[in-house]
Amino acid sequence: MSKSFPTQEIGSLPKFSWRTKPFRQMTLDDSDLETAKRWGERMGVTGTSRLLKILSKRADFSDEEKKEIVDFSLLYAIRMSETAGRGLSEHEGLDLVWSGEQARTEMYETPVSNIAGFEFIGKVRSFDNKYWRMASIRGSPSFENNYHIDELLFTQKHTKRKVKVPVTDAITIMAWSDNHYYTAKWAREKVSPVRRSFNARREFTLELAKIIRKVIRELIASGVEEVQIDIPAATQYQSVDDIKLVTEAFNETTKGLSATFSMHSCFPPSIGYAILFPHMLEMKKCERFSFEYGNRDGYGRGIDDEARSGFTDLKLFKEYGYDKGLGVGILHVHTDKLPSVAVVRDRILYSAKVTGLDPEELYINPDCGLRTRKPEVAQRMLDLVAAGAEKARGESAGH
Amino acid sequence: MAEFTLSLTGLHARNESTIQATQDWERGRIDSGTLNAAFRSDSDSLVALQKEAGADYLSDGQFTTGWQDFLRPLTNGLEGVKKGAMVRWYNTNTFYYTQIITGPLSGNGNAFWSKVERRFLKQGKFRVSIPDPLTLSELAEDHHYGSREKLLFAYADVLNKELLTLEKNGVSYVQFSSPALVARFTQKAISKDGLGQLGEAVRSAVKGVSLRTGFHTIFGDASHYIPDIFDAIHTDDIGFDFTQTDPDSLSPTKKGIIAGVADARTTYLESVEELKGNVEKVLDRTGTKKITLAPSSDLRYVPRVSADAKLRRLGELKRELGEK
Repeated sequence: MSKSFPTQEIGSLPKFSWRTKPFRQMTLDDSDLETAKRWGERMGVTGTSRLLKILSKRADFSDEEKKEIVDFSLLYAIRMSETAGRGLSEHEGLDLVWSGEQARTEMYETPVSNIAGFEFIGKVRSFDNKYWRMASIRGSPSFENNYHIDELLFTQKHTKRKVKVPVTDAITIMAWSDNHYYTAKWAREKVSPVRRSFNARREFTLELAKIIRKVIRELIASGVEEVQIDIPAATQYQSVDDIKLVTEAFNETTKGLSATFSMHSCFPPSIGYAILFPHMLEMKKCERFSFEYGNRDGYGRGIDDEARSGFTDLKLFKEYGYDKGLGVGILHVHTDKLPSVAVVRDRILYSAKVTGLDPEELYINPDCGLRTRKPEVAQRMLDLVAAGAEKARGESAGH
Repeated sequence: MAEFTLSLTGLHARNESTIQATQDWERGRIDSGTLNAAFRSDSDSLVALQKEAGADYLSDGQFTTGWQDFLRPLTNGLEGVKKGAMVRWYNTNTFYYTQIITGPLSGNGNAFWSKVERRFLKQGKFRVSIPDPLTLSELAEDHHYGSREKLLFAYADVLNKELLTLEKNGVSYVQFSSPALVARFTQKAISKDGLGQLGEAVRSAVKGVSLRTGFHTIFGDASHYIPDIFDAIHTDDIGFDFTQTDPDSLSPTKKGIIAGVADARTTYLESVEELKGNVEKVLDRTGTKKITLAPSSDLRYVPRVSADAKLRRLGELKRELGEK
């Protein structure tokens, strides 16, 4: 029998200071070593004496030592997911786990660093004092390296739980890049400006989709059964043609592949996820949509529309007769302010009520990756996912 | 014979030193004085570049921490507004905080003036870009007015006070940037009546103001509003993002045109000939006597080196057209 309200993490988890400092040429201090020791003990990570020995060097790590540090950070992330809910729920751990994207620079830089045709050109501000390192496409992109295979093999080797690998999609890479090559290619075409810029985006996106398909095909060949296509930019370009392109890119990416596919997106424009309907429902192999809802919600109790104002967008799925799976983001990931377990349970029960989906099809997760939180907060969030889902299971089973 | 002027149209990219300074400041490695010095140096170099390129109106770049997003001066500077959720800014990978309207909108008229780098006012004619009333009202979460129309005109009144302050202090040009009119998500264009209502709101915003004003439509195709927009919107100049709007869709007007010919969303650098081709179409279709050569939108969506290259190229275009 399937489990009600299965749990998952979206992708990234915070990196510990002992993971980041060696790559920034910074010297480790006592607190970094103490953190490695304390968290290792807390989560039952084995072999930490080796990690502590390496870290005790404090600086000037060799390439081999840096590789071991990254491997340990993967292991810590796996254990963080496996021990979620400890002390709060009867059964600890998430149902789908990943290694927290610890081996990746971040979700955009890692793929573009491994696809030929890109050049990094500088930083662009996304909000406040936050920036991303923009790459420019200067030629037709082509596959260079499978940038996820090593982390997948490591993760599979170190967990007995089901693994879900998150993969950045073509739309997002296109949208966050400078589309120099295809803009130039289409500049003199005798079509309207709107069509010209759309064609430049579409051609770039579909070329990327072929490359990402190759990456995923190799991951599947290595045994992964669950692949999450990450499309944070799904709602960036907002014409009907662009929304249809999100679906076309998903279908192109997954064409001919056999696995359980889901998609994740976040931070829609002011009109919400309605912008993606109904076109996203044409993603043929998508078994689950995972969106964020927690960041718009209140912190009070209740399972009615007023109390759960952040989750009312979920009604769209029922309106369109959707009957597959959902991943419901129940925690705002850009704040340290956390709801109680009871409120998390309410959010889950409200989601089940308004979607009408079987509890087995409603996955519970934070809104997005947790890379921007401190480890203590991230752990607490995963605890809430596990404990809130367990409470909701009790309610939906009539206990 | 038309007059060609040149100007930036919004928030500019920060340079690499400023970016580093903001990150150092966030991590507590430098103090606010050092951060402000970085911003000063950055806007000094941008103003120098504008002069070199032949810009007729100078901008300070609008990239200090007062401009963390395009709405922020008002989000932080008005009574009746609370900062809400972080939301995507139209079709970009940038974000803003929603304005939650909790009471009557009011301000002292200093929200924008307090963000101006005032030392540049003596160096030439100075310009500021601000959001138009439609964009403000459509993006706000209204818990007070109960109707979009009331909110639209409440913002117009607030903007009027802002413009009066800017004018009193020597600012020569204010541009309303209006993504909301043309970047309609998947919705249809607003109706002729809706455009008329926006026109009335803009009329309220510029009431009693004699500085030059513009209304620039960014991120979308404005051809649906031609020719009505020329009569409806009471500004001296009307602007178009020609990466989205076909210049062939223009019609005759006596208004000035902000010609957003340089694509602000990519580092692909158009040749002077390519840019000139579009400007000539604008001249041909509108018969206007004044064209402002400009980027299609703010130049904050590409790294600084590319933003500056776009500005230089527009300077070359201006010289080329002037020598014609």
